[in-house]
Amino acid sequence: MAKKDDVSRRQFLNYTLTGVGGFMAAGMLLPMVRFAIDPIMKEGAKQDMVPVVEVSKVTEKPQRFTFEIEQKDGWYESKVTQAAWVYKDKNGDIVALSPICKHLGCTVDWAASPAHPNQFYCPCHGGRYEKDGTNIKGTPPLAPLDVYKKEVKDGKLYLGQAVPQ
Amino acid sequence: MKWRSEDMDLYLQSTEYVDTAIVPLIPIAWGNQLKHTVLKGEFPLIVSEELERQLKGRVVLFPTLSYLTSESDVDIISRLLALKDELSENGIPHIVFVSSDARWSDVDELRADLINIPPVPLEHMEDEYRRDVIGEQVKHLLQIVTKKWQNTKLGE
Repeated sequence: MAKKDDVSRRQFLNYTLTGVGGFMAAGMLLPMVRFAIDPIMKEGAKQDMVPVVEVSKVTEKPQRFTFEIEQKDGWYESKVTQAAWVYKDKNGDIVALSPICKHLGCTVDWAASPAHPNQFYCPCHGGRYEKDGTNIKGTPPLAPLDVYKKEVKDGKLYLGQAVPQ
Repeated sequence: MKWRSEDMDLYLQSTEYVDTAIVPLIPIAWGNQLKHTVLKGEFPLIVSEELERQLKGRVVLFPTLSYLTSESDVDIISRLLALKDELSENGIPHIVFVSSDARWSDVDELRADLINIPPVPLEHMEDEYRRDVIGEQVKHLLQIVTKKWQNTKLGE
């Protein structure tokens, strides 16, 4: 007779078959699951944060800094230079604004209009924005400037995607 | 805006805001001085592309206008002027030819519309320096173009 701890032939076969079968099922299912969730994983890695400038160089006056990102345009991968207007606000927090005008996509400049020294100015159609990116009523843009996702690490400012305010 | 159907949709929605065409001029020749000829086309093209990026909402970057260096001045100039007429009749009053070919620096018919920039060989330059050189040139063009605009307020 079998003792308590012993495994009978029937049990042994059961265990091994379940084990092997489980492996086979997993081998078949895993790639399917991967295919299914692949788009989600891809989107997560869409754009990394890019080091742009040392935090110590950021002043209260907006300065223009450029950085490069990888861009995929269909099958064509290229490096694209992007710019950001970076400054420290009253609380000492860093703000990084996209220079792309929300009207038709020109590049805005800080204090470029002599009549409005403390605003962003778009040379194309005279669109203006406050320092914090708010569009000024009566000028063509209908939305505030986009803000870059930002992160400070080891004394450096990293910027990611630009998101609408 | 670029010469793409996607951008033309944007143009058609906002025609009243767009009044300027940017046309890079590219000389073509094969044989003698090949590299020099290419250089004279390469730089205006890069600068024009960057200019379009800065002024996307008010300009259209046209396909380059190319000509054989052996073509006669009269032929080429008449082609440029024909394009200018075509555009001004259809709602684009300003046209900017961007060229590095000294041949056009002193032509009366083109003086108002042509910006001549000295060709700069970018091939052996470091990235950062290259960006500066292009940036400077674009700034120069920006000033000329915005000056053209000063007397015309759009969309108001």
